[in-house]
Amino acid sequence: MFKNYFKIAWRSMMKNKTFSFINVFGLSSGLACCMLIALYINNETSYDTYHRDAGNIYQLGTTFVLGGTEKETMPNTPAPMAEGMRREFPEVEASTHLLGLFADDKTLLQYNTGSDAEVKSFYETKGFLTDSSFFRVFSYRFIEGGVNSLDHPNTVVINEEIAKKMFGNGSAINKVIRINSSTNGAYDYTITGVFRPSSKPSHIDGRFFMSIGGGDMEQYIKRRPNDYATNNMFYTYLKLKPGSDYKKLESKLPSFLEKYAKRDLQAMGFDKQQFLIPLKEIHLSKQVKNNVTPPGSRSYLYILASIALFTLLIACINFMNLSTARSSKRSSEVGVRKVLGAMRGGLIRQFLGESVLLALIAFVLAIFLMYILLPFFNEASGRNIIFSFAQNWLMVTGFLIMAIVAGLIAGSYPAFYLSSFVPVKVLKGKLANTLAVVSLRKFLVVFQFVISVILIISSVVIASQMQYMRNKDLGFTKDQQLIIPLRSEAAKKAAKSLKNELKSIPDVVSAGATMYYPGIFNPSDNLYYKDGQSMHEGIRTRMNHVDFDLLPTLGVKIVAGRLFSRAFPSDTALRIVVNEALVKEIGFPSSEKAVGQNIHFDWQGQKYDFGIIGVVKDFHYESLHLPITPFAFQVVAQNSGTAFNYLLVHANTTNMNNLIQSARNEWHKLNPDEPFEYSFLDTDFLKNYESEKRLSSLVSYFTIIAILISCLGLFGLAAFSAEQRTKEIGVRKVLGASAGSIVGLLSKEFLKLVLIAFVIASPVAWWVMNKWLQDFAYRTSISWTAFVITATIALVIAMLTISFQAVKAAIANPVKSLRTE
Amino acid sequence: MLELKGIYKWVNTGNNRIFLLKDVDLSVKPGEFISIMGPSGSGKSTLLNVIGMLDTFDQGEYNFLHESVHQLKVKQRSALYKQYIGFVFQAYHLIDELTVYENIETPLIYQNIKTSERKALVADVLDRFQIVGKKDLFPTQLSGGQQQLVGIARALIAKPKLLLADEPTGNLNSKQGEEIMSLFRELNREGMTIIQVTHSEKNAAYGSRIINLLDGMVAQ
Repeated sequence: MFKNYFKIAWRSMMKNKTFSFINVFGLSSGLACCMLIALYINNETSYDTYHRDAGNIYQLGTTFVLGGTEKETMPNTPAPMAEGMRREFPEVEASTHLLGLFADDKTLLQYNTGSDAEVKSFYETKGFLTDSSFFRVFSYRFIEGGVNSLDHPNTVVINEEIAKKMFGNGSAINKVIRINSSTNGAYDYTITGVFRPSSKPSHIDGRFFMSIGGGDMEQYIKRRPNDYATNNMFYTYLKLKPGSDYKKLESKLPSFLEKYAKRDLQAMGFDKQQFLIPLKEIHLSKQVKNNVTPPGSRSYLYILASIALFTLLIACINFMNLSTARSSKRSSEVGVRKVLGAMRGGLIRQFLGESVLLALIAFVLAIFLMYILLPFFNEASGRNIIFSFAQNWLMVTGFLIMAIVAGLIAGSYPAFYLSSFVPVKVLKGKLANTLAVVSLRKFLVVFQFVISVILIISSVVIASQMQYMRNKDLGFTKDQQLIIPLRSEAAKKAAKSLKNELKSIPDVVSAGATMYYPGIFNPSDNLYYKDGQSMHEGIRTRMNHVDFDLLPTLGVKIVAGRLFSRAFPSDTALRIVVNEALVKEIGFPSSEKAVGQNIHFDWQGQKYDFGIIGVVKDFHYESLHLPITPFAFQVVAQNSGTAFNYLLVHANTTNMNNLIQSARNEWHKLNPDEPFEYSFLDTDFLKNYESEKRLSSLVSYFTIIAILISCLGLFGLAAFSAEQRTKEIGVRKVLGASAGSIVGLLSKEFLKLVLIAFVIASPVAWWVMNKWLQDFAYRTSISWTAFVITATIALVIAMLTISFQAVKAAIANPVKSLRTE
Repeated sequence: MLELKGIYKWVNTGNNRIFLLKDVDLSVKPGEFISIMGPSGSGKSTLLNVIGMLDTFDQGEYNFLHESVHQLKVKQRSALYKQYIGFVFQAYHLIDELTVYENIETPLIYQNIKTSERKALVADVLDRFQIVGKKDLFPTQLSGGQQQLVGIARALIAKPKLLLADEPTGNLNSKQGEEIMSLFRELNREGMTIIQVTHSEKNAAYGSRIINLLDGMVAQ
């Protein structure tokens, strides 16, 4: 009997290849989409779960209170905090602190092979400075070395990939490499450990970990052994003794600050509060934004989860709809079978089995689809999710069950509904569908199109914001700007000569050296106040240190006073150029009046004075997410030339490749041991919109899937309606209706649904996108063209989908359709 | 073999009750070949469906082989007809997705007959109707006459006691129709009880008794 059912299922599937394919594919894409999201959610919620003591590890967070009310929450703490807390609180079993090499976009690692004094150089990313406790707090899988690897200064632990790159399959242990860091200086380090990163994600994504002892940072920390107020740049982790209550510890933190930091804080003019974040919650923590790696968002996960659920639900419903659309044909089969003696139970089993079979095929296809799409999804989501049956069997089983359930539900209409009638009724193959069923189908089509329309509008708006950000005048010259990073001590020292050589290349307009450039992370800031005020009224001002040539090269526009100039011997580190925002915030009446004024800050009890020599027009030193805030340039005297991290070269050429080649030659003359690297200012600036780019591609993927799925829904409804109205169409044709008028008759009904969906979706999309745009301090407005474009897209797609069925119905021979009556 | 007493069947449209069958009495003895005749809409097919238990009735008594059909539940009723009644339709009603062989086999599957036995039974029937060569074809590959032959073969496979045929030759040309009718006569001579609905006097003449229906009533 099962063989018989299976045969029928298989044959009726093969007989309607297109139909079955569309049906199965619809469910597969829904399932695959849902699987990807499930994998993503699983990934996002499994951060740091693999550490042995994950339940007892906490990150120390800080709330900075500026001016009494303005609060900012960060995970950053001063260096002595980790050790200080371990000493103070008995429940803290171990503590560690961590610092990313924040000034390095890449770090130069060099290995002297010894043979012919050949030096192998590699640029590496994601380097961290930490202490000997780090590997005792966090669990890492060591291939070589062990938890005691960082017990001595000038030691480094690298990951497997770097080890392979540097030493092939040979051992890396005890090899000495030189690490040139703009953050930590250039020193030799002995490799004492090699680890293999876990397949589960961690919010600490370090590729190599250096001991804090032995570099510039150690000196920096040693200069302030009891500073619990400033130098808030270290991540502090505490491992508590098993069974300790972290809330209890948290309640003791205010008194800790009172004891160690109060005096310094008062002198600095701000206040701090400390709190603890459980390790496993760091990645999805809402409290803290700028962690070691950018955190995920719980609400984002909820949105994704609901998208996944909706997608699955709609895919299942479509599957059901499409399966039942042909049920009038099946209904005569039910009749015949009943006449031949089939019991209701048997029929139910047959139809359920049939649709479960289809659902299972869809499931298998979905797994393949998911496999194929995972790399794209990883690229779009910025994660590295790996799928394996061994690790994700629970999820796979879950989806298998879901597919079977979808199959069961899809099969339930013919199974339970059709089999319940007396044979004669179903034998005639005419079962007028109740109004409720038809309205439900219509509602579902509207619902699906609402989602599609929202997604299409979102894509259009995101695209126009991206366009806006690319084209917006940033207040400086962003085109034809070459950036050459200076990553080693040697390169920094050679910077001045290199700059002069580069200037002599014909196509180079100018070149300057700088510590930071617009668009990259710049952590240095000061609190400035003007005459008659005190540190408490200080205005937070971002700082950059430049040479004399940088400002003209960058092309910022002067509005009052002048830029730094060698012609003025008085232009020293105590002269600054500020932007208009600073003039306004600090309260000078005008830019002209600000020139010549002094502004000040206090540090460790001493007051420093700076003379404003010029005011520049506001420019975007950060991405367009953020409003322009006070900014100041300080000039660095020529003789202390290692402060600069980058050379900025402004060119005027049509052949950039030639220019780069010339720059490369100059570089190699001065830095024979280092590879030449470069980037462009405009593209670097756009890197700030990486997450928007990801969002944009994610949204476009989802848009495609949503359109696909809603088209399936519409297709199902159109097919269903065409079949239901076969007789009507036949009669109309006999009465002289043209094929065109019948296509119109069938299409009108559905286009109306799409229009309703559009009307519902537009305000929702407008609201959502408006909210999204609030993330940008500088943004485009949502124009009506976005809606026109979307309406056109939706209607065209709907039209294409329907017309297939409508035309088929319209050109069918009416005699045929009437004869079966 | 079966007895209908005072059978009524009606539908309500608005306030009107339209009678499809009105006070029908009918008694059929084993071995009879009855033709039900009457103009369109007289209730021929309805009566046949009631006899075949494919349709319900609203009032009256129906005894089939000493069972009171009007007192049976749906399940028992279908168990009854699946065992004792074979159906032949005007539109053949073969399952398009199944081959000739599988179509004929289906009733046996529903009666839980073993595979080996099914094979033997189907082979017999194929042989008898001389359609062995067509057994692997699908219904759409056959002519109307051949399809109806398969339909009859399917109706007879489970060895029913009663064969019901609703205009079995209605979709066939006259030659095919004659063949089918002589087949019916032959079956009847072998002892099969047959009730057919027909429009044609010629076909009715094959039977042993004619029942004329008019507006749901048996014309006297």
